[in-house]
Amino acid sequence: MLEKGKINSLQAILLMISMILPTAVLSVPAITVKSARQDAWLSIIVATVVGLLIAWLVVTLSLRFPGKTLFEYVEEILGKIPGKIVSFFYIWWFLHMNALVIREYGVFLATAIMPDTPISVFHIVVVVVAAYAVRNGLEVLSRANQLLIPTTVLLATVFILSTGNMKLSRMLPVIDTGLLPIIKGAAAPASWLGEIVTFAMIIPYLNRPREAHRVAALSVLLVSFFLTASILEALLIFGPNLTGAWIFPVFNAVRLISVDNSLGRLEIIIVLAWVLGGFFKVGVFYYAAVLGSAQWLELKDYRPLVLPVGIILVALSILIHEGIVDLFDFLARVWPPYALIVFEAGIPLVLLLVALVRGKGGRKNA
Amino acid sequence: MEKFRKPTRTGVPGGIFARDYNDSLKNLVLSQDLEANLQQIKAILDKCSDVIYREFVFAQNEEIRLALIYIEGLADPGQISDQIIRALSLEVPMAVPGQEITKARALEFIKQRGLCIHQLKETYKLQDIIHAILSGDTVLLVDGHAVALVNGARGWEARPLSDSETEPTVRGPRESFAETLRVNTALIRRKIKSPNLKIEALRLGEVSDTDVALVYIEGIVNEKLVTEVKSRLEKINIDAILESGYIEELIEDNPWSLFPTVNHTGKPDRLAAMLLEGRVAILVDGTPVALTVPNLFVEYLQAPEDYYQRFLFASAVRLIRFASMIISLMLPSLYIAVLSFHHELLPTPLLLGMAARREVVPFPVFFEVLITEIAFEVLREAGNHLPRPIGQGISIGAALVLGVVAVQAGFIAASTVIVVVFAGIASLVFANSAGMAFRLLRFALMVLSGTLGLVGMISGAAFIAIHMCTLRSFGVPYLSPLAPIASTDLADVVSRAPWWAMLSRPRLMTGQNQQRQGRGLKPTSPEKTSKGRR
Repeated sequence: MLEKGKINSLQAILLMISMILPTAVLSVPAITVKSARQDAWLSIIVATVVGLLIAWLVVTLSLRFPGKTLFEYVEEILGKIPGKIVSFFYIWWFLHMNALVIREYGVFLATAIMPDTPISVFHIVVVVVAAYAVRNGLEVLSRANQLLIPTTVLLATVFILSTGNMKLSRMLPVIDTGLLPIIKGAAAPASWLGEIVTFAMIIPYLNRPREAHRVAALSVLLVSFFLTASILEALLIFGPNLTGAWIFPVFNAVRLISVDNSLGRLEIIIVLAWVLGGFFKVGVFYYAAVLGSAQWLELKDYRPLVLPVGIILVALSILIHEGIVDLFDFLARVWPPYALIVFEAGIPLVLLLVALVRGKGGRKNA
Repeated sequence: MEKFRKPTRTGVPGGIFARDYNDSLKNLVLSQDLEANLQQIKAILDKCSDVIYREFVFAQNEEIRLALIYIEGLADPGQISDQIIRALSLEVPMAVPGQEITKARALEFIKQRGLCIHQLKETYKLQDIIHAILSGDTVLLVDGHAVALVNGARGWEARPLSDSETEPTVRGPRESFAETLRVNTALIRRKIKSPNLKIEALRLGEVSDTDVALVYIEGIVNEKLVTEVKSRLEKINIDAILESGYIEELIEDNPWSLFPTVNHTGKPDRLAAMLLEGRVAILVDGTPVALTVPNLFVEYLQAPEDYYQRFLFASAVRLIRFASMIISLMLPSLYIAVLSFHHELLPTPLLLGMAARREVVPFPVFFEVLITEIAFEVLREAGNHLPRPIGQGISIGAALVLGVVAVQAGFIAASTVIVVVFAGIASLVFANSAGMAFRLLRFALMVLSGTLGLVGMISGAAFIAIHMCTLRSFGVPYLSPLAPIASTDLADVVSRAPWWAMLSRPRLMTGQNQQRQGRGLKPTSPEKTSKGRR
């Protein structure tokens, strides 16, 4: 096997949270509030249901092929050539998504704290740190994540400190514009929660694969919880109009905090949590892309691919969009249907159906 | 360019000279002729002016000639003259009046009744005899017998046991290890009077022939660990082991890492506690510290005292140590990052005050901090190597004078001195080999935050964290029980759990027998228990 490490269920949950949450907290609130307005929290509930369904789908599919990753069982289900084609698309998807994440990372750091630094510097830094973790394998990636994830607790503290600026009345009226905007608003968070598909690359390395269903569901629920909290953080402070107008509303909401005129400028905590989270978000997709490519090319070791994939990621993340407006327009309008319909729900559903029809995998193999 | 080759532990090209010498000795044995034996030994120990040859005759039968060989300074002259020479050349006849002792019976008699030495061994191999002499034993040769008697009458000038200077404690035993291996093993044996405490002997170093002891508690230790440690020690092929540091570098898992993955302690009580948690200790003759493996990073945040003091206070102290670790690593770089990139993070009055005072300083913050840091390290290093009273005086004087004058002259800002000195003192909270790693990494982080601000600093810190996650010490993850989290062991890491709650030994370390103590040890007041019964 390419990966010899094993991780436990807690590490898997934390890794999944780090994989989804960092960009979700920053980008999703604005996108969702723009269409669902003050009912954005209802959109998250819809998205959570979708996320849970995708999680169930992926885990059910993966558990039919114990010990195999997505890239290995695709070939078993569809046959060698079609399988290679489908898994090639997944490699592309991991790279594409990761390039977007890296770009968001660079854009955020450049706009928020270091406007004079070229974004490619941030891209290189995040990819180098992630590459170091990826090269050392899944165990190290998840252990380091476990070590650093407590910074998220700081985020919760910051949210609590900002309650002074909140007004509950900004959530009213409920379901004012009808159901359609709510469902439209759910598309973006659902596509983020649907990133749980990547879990298919990690299930074989769980030390208790039986708990995979629980791990996936808990990860989705915890992420939704934090996502709801951050949407409310922005919504209750700014109301739907301002929240929708900003690119990083949560960041701006935290900027307003000032306790006794001395404890202020807490947005640095968001930066801290985001920079650290970014390493692991990029790291997981990076790992999935590298491991997947190695399996696609049928290599014995994935480590030689770490450097080339890293270079591709840095280059792709710079080339992929012209600017920040372009990027966020893509994230709000193109990304959700593209990711959700094709990679997160579509292909796994087809794979499961084909596997059922052709009788591949399942208990008889286990 | 020649490709860089990793030094291998075995197979030194050409062999070490001492090995050939040992091989030539290997097959030699004693003969029955005393003169011939002495000649042979004298030939081997040629030009060794510290070797003493003392020939004398047996009291009752002057035909029986005897010879003593020992090294002056290593053997105890009092014991030799009283218990060996006097006993054999004067007193024997009084003990057995009228009994004839022939040449043939001489050896048996001397062994059974003649010598008043507590430790006696027999050997006929020349190699063992030479080793015994060089280790400080006294060898007795009897004419007409091809056997030597090795008397354990060692006694050399050694430093007496003293208070531990490197790991001082307020409460708890003060004794610390000395340089003599036997003294050190005795100190451990005094703490753990169990037949399961095993002390295995090894000899390492082809020329120095150093005694090394492997100490562990059978039944607690993981058997695989002992085998692994032994196999790593046996691979060592070096001319000399002068300090345990040699062994540490030759057996560690991550030779290139800044972080030490072999711990050491000079305190018998701490070593006993470590053995009881399932670690293996390596004691080296001539070294007043013992190596312990596997080593976890959290060991550097624990002190033996924690376990003797009240647990709530000890837990609070641990938090302070943890905070000092972060401060010593990150404070200077945070200062650089904030002052050169993120002014907005400071409250306005503070920022204005600092800016006003920094106005006269001619350097960028990064250089200012770097220079001050280097000055601090220089003072610290100078203080380490001067005689203690002078060292303290000089470092305090220099620090005060240099600091005050440099600030007054406007070379550095007062706030820089505060930050650097605070971080420096914080790093003293765990002044040991892990502290050294952090001292160096602090400079790396300073460079990163000088170039990329907070992003650089956080990236550097994440890199360090990931690096520490890759480390293992004899198979145990270095950061356990923090990452991977072992919830039962965490109670003794972030806090110091009370003794009645520390039910198990560290899980990743011990293979078997994890239960440390019985349940229900939490003391309750007698009234409460009697009420409960009623």
